[in-house]
Amino acid sequence: MSKADEEKKSYAAVFLLAVALLLASAIWIVWDDQIARRPWKKYQYDFSQTQIDRAKAEVAAEQQRLDSSSEYQDVVKDLTEARQALETGDTGRLMADLERQRGKAQLFYDDAEFELRTKKSEIEEAWYEVEHAQLAGANVEKPRARLDRLEGERIVLEETVSDAEARLEKIVSEQDEIRSVVVALEKKKESLEAERERLVQRVDSLVIPMGPLAFPKIPKIEQVVLEEFDRNAYNQPVARVDRCTSCHVGINKPGYEDEPQPFTTHPDREFYLLSHDVEKFGCTPCHQGQGAAVNSPEQAHGRVKYWLDPMYRGDDVQAGCIACHADVRVDKAEKIALGEQLFEQVGCVGCHLVEGYGDVPPVGPYLRRISAKVNANWLVDWVEQPHRYRPRTKMPNFYFEREEAEAVAGYILSVSQAESEEWLGSHGAPDGIDPGDAALVARGSEIADSIGCRGCHGLAPGESPALLGEKKDVAPNLSNIAEKTNPRWMYHWLKDPRGYSPDARMPSLRLTDDDARALVSYLFTLGTPRTGDEATRVKLLEPDNVALGEALVRKYGCPGCHEIPGMEAESRIGVELSVFGSKPMEELFFGNRTDIPYTWRDWTFHKVNEPRIYETERIEQVMPHFDLAESDIDAVLVFLASRQEERVPDAYRPANLEREKTLAEGRRVIERYNCVGCHVIGGEGGAILSLYEENPTLGPPILNGEGAKVQANWLYGFLKRPIPLRPWLAIRMPTFGLTDDETVKLVRYFAAEDGIDSPFVHIDQASLSPEYVEAGELLASVDYFSCWTCHQQGDRKPEGPQEGWAPDLALARERLNPDWIVEWIKDPQALMPGTRMPSFYDFSDDERDGPEDVLESDLQQAEALRDYLLTLHPAAATAPMAVPPAQEQTPFDLGGEGAASAPAADEIDAQTEG
Amino acid sequence: MLNSIDRAIRLLGVATCAALFSTAGAFAYEGGAVSGGGSIKGMVKFTGTPPEREVLEVNKDKEVCAVGVKKSNELVVGADGGVEFAVVSLTNISKGKAFPEGASVLDQAGCEYLPYIVVVRKGADLDILNSDGILHNVHTYSEKNKPLNRAQPKFKKKITEKFTETEMVKVTCDVHGWMKGWLAVVDHPYYAITDGSGGFELTDVPAGEYEIKVWQEKLGESTQKVTVPAGGEASVTFEMAAK
Repeated sequence: MSKADEEKKSYAAVFLLAVALLLASAIWIVWDDQIARRPWKKYQYDFSQTQIDRAKAEVAAEQQRLDSSSEYQDVVKDLTEARQALETGDTGRLMADLERQRGKAQLFYDDAEFELRTKKSEIEEAWYEVEHAQLAGANVEKPRARLDRLEGERIVLEETVSDAEARLEKIVSEQDEIRSVVVALEKKKESLEAERERLVQRVDSLVIPMGPLAFPKIPKIEQVVLEEFDRNAYNQPVARVDRCTSCHVGINKPGYEDEPQPFTTHPDREFYLLSHDVEKFGCTPCHQGQGAAVNSPEQAHGRVKYWLDPMYRGDDVQAGCIACHADVRVDKAEKIALGEQLFEQVGCVGCHLVEGYGDVPPVGPYLRRISAKVNANWLVDWVEQPHRYRPRTKMPNFYFEREEAEAVAGYILSVSQAESEEWLGSHGAPDGIDPGDAALVARGSEIADSIGCRGCHGLAPGESPALLGEKKDVAPNLSNIAEKTNPRWMYHWLKDPRGYSPDARMPSLRLTDDDARALVSYLFTLGTPRTGDEATRVKLLEPDNVALGEALVRKYGCPGCHEIPGMEAESRIGVELSVFGSKPMEELFFGNRTDIPYTWRDWTFHKVNEPRIYETERIEQVMPHFDLAESDIDAVLVFLASRQEERVPDAYRPANLEREKTLAEGRRVIERYNCVGCHVIGGEGGAILSLYEENPTLGPPILNGEGAKVQANWLYGFLKRPIPLRPWLAIRMPTFGLTDDETVKLVRYFAAEDGIDSPFVHIDQASLSPEYVEAGELLASVDYFSCWTCHQQGDRKPEGPQEGWAPDLALARERLNPDWIVEWIKDPQALMPGTRMPSFYDFSDDERDGPEDVLESDLQQAEALRDYLLTLHPAAATAPMAVPPAQEQTPFDLGGEGAASAPAADEIDAQTEG
Repeated sequence: MLNSIDRAIRLLGVATCAALFSTAGAFAYEGGAVSGGGSIKGMVKFTGTPPEREVLEVNKDKEVCAVGVKKSNELVVGADGGVEFAVVSLTNISKGKAFPEGASVLDQAGCEYLPYIVVVRKGADLDILNSDGILHNVHTYSEKNKPLNRAQPKFKKKITEKFTETEMVKVTCDVHGWMKGWLAVVDHPYYAITDGSGGFELTDVPAGEYEIKVWQEKLGESTQKVTVPAGGEASVTFEMAAK
């Protein structure tokens, strides 16, 4: 190539290409940086536009309202007329004249005032001359004379000025007087337009005005910084940054509930965002996700590879509550509460340890004496497929073959033989049980219906008074109980459940022998007893069978839920789930399944729903099938999702954490013993009350407000050893045999429920006013409120049948909170709707309702009654009642056994709750 | 300007009238003089064998309460099958005879409610008397009215209550379990309680067609159509059997 050729060669095309590339990449850089990676900008523009449109529409609507408001139109018209009137006719002329006068007067005033000011300056000068002359020792006379003259002129001028001012003011006030009509109308118009002005200002605040144009605000990243919320790799506190509101612009603004995401207002915003300040908590502590990411919704929501905490979907967000709140009983988080209940009560904890749930007593029945309890044929069937006998049982299905079920049954019967025989030795066969005796069975059935069995147990097929989730019974359905067990065992079990199984949840109903016989006779009419027990036992107890059974019992982890002799040292066979919610995907074993979506939630759902789903030829799985409803599995999943490694710093946790813990602990005890089967507690429960709709006062007492009502000490004692309080009730509070710890938790729960910090009460008898006590006694007497017509005091019983009695007032000093007594007397219906206790006062008005010859006011009388009640003692009840009535016996000795066996102090009870 | 004030006053007047009118309610009963009205006479009859009246056991405060033999009033059937204590009323009348505004009276005497069924005008006073001079309590069971449970000790000779909704309200005394009575809270005067022979009469009914209803606590409800001739008498017989 020659030099000339080289010089002639054009690089224009290359340069053009280079320039084009450069330009394109510059444009691409700007586009990518400013638009593609900033989707939030468009969201903010769009939302701004929505806001502006709405605000403008509001202005227009307000304008339209004004236009169609006759009041406003009248004001506008009247104002125009009034203004015109000022300019025309006589008034117009008068106004013009006044205006001329005002002009003149103003001019005159200005002149005079100027002259006065000048004069004052001259006086200043004259003063200087006088003082100067004095200091210089010169003649003072002359300057002094000038000063005096000037002072004289000033006085004259001041009068002139004030006259001029008065004249001016007079004219102006005359003008104002005439104009006042207009001013008043203007004010009125302004007040009518105030709302429109406010809306107009709102529009202005939403835009950036530029001359005649207005633009939406320039988008910017919105973020909340949570100081010291997280910890870095060196365990140093670091801030967390949530930028969610950069896109979710309407989240904390009411009125955008129906807008599409990301503009939607937070659901139930009042509840969630007013109690959780967004500026403090941000979003991810509850919802998870990648709060700092703003480049795409997928990134921000944490739905990208390697982000460990993708945003919760649906009810799963309830798992987020637990990050800060003490336990899983939080308002509006029912799903996780159910999940925990299922996890604890269905028996997951038997195999899987979760921190905080390690000490839950065994979930399944006690098997040390099982040989004395069950029919061997029944047992084999049960082990093989529990849901066949009881569709809603908590016992899971292990998918045993028939031979395996026989082996397990054989082993269980074999190891429980010795302890069973020992127990049978001290628990002989009772006589007098006869399911064929119609009268006895009828009595047993009546007992079952009335003492409270049905608070927990279903007696007819399919009946379930207490469900755990959708498909599990809290306590077994007894409609075919005769198949399973034998009358001897049942008799002793009913009499003393803990005498058979030390951890039994079943309480003692304090049955008399006769009642127990009747009840067992009735229960053995439910289902057909199985036969062939002996022959089956012999077969099952063959050594080979028992040996195989032992291996299976060990392999499938039966000791996790059952106490089995010789297996006390077995540990849980499942993996620990304490931080299962943070489990990385790589650690979840999908086996050969490729059809299950690759998420934590899908893996876990299918695992619970179909426990052997991930089994392969090489990897065996042993988890049994619990047969939970899908919604219940969801609940368990929420609970599992909440099991996380992270700990939220105290600064972000609720101030009343202790109270939450107390409530949660108490609630767990309440659920364990199904107190809510009978009682309404904290506004929930009381299923059995549906049997008492006709006469609710015959049902178990409603315990809302119990913490405010009773003394903690008394409640502790009562829970430990219940005594009949209400002689008219057939249903009775059973003896649960609660531990000290459980009892304390319950007492603390009731106090916390009513917001009582210190539940202790001291009544100082010496400080009670004798005057009040005396007045109270008078008020309680037959001439006034006649309390003893219905109430008992120790052995002093009212007339008439027991069902007409009211509680023992001698218990008040030990049992009731003094403040509560006054509230109760003031308005019993308010504290216990439907109570038989009538209102003696009506505090809704100032009128006196009580007798006017006792003390000064109704309130004083209520306090006097309280003081009197606090002095009452059962032993002091010596005054004779009208007629000492014969003790009425109810059909099955209700409450009577307390009287028969307990010391006098225990028998005196009967109190008001319902 | 004066015009506008004037207009405002006039508007205010109209608004007040409208408000008064609407609170009176669309179905408010309008009472006045009835000229040429007729009457409805009739009887409530029990079909079948009437049950024995239960004898109520007086087991408390006997010195005051044990006066005569107390029998249940839940279903009282006379010689000819006439049912006492049934409540007969017109269901669709909005204009008719004057509706007295005075208080109704329920007395507690001999530990019984006298009368057994009291007709109470909606919103008017019910004076509850305690002639016994011992503790009673007035415990009502109702669906629409607020439940009431007021003590009436010896020294309270009279308490006064109002009921704001029309319905049958049961009254009991928790002190004396056998005591029971009823309040018929009504919003027009065409109500009658059947007498011992099951008979009743509604007078001064403007001529026209009506629906007439009977209520009895054990037998339930029943309705019929009735035409009242001007100045004449219509006759109605209800036949009721045990439910």
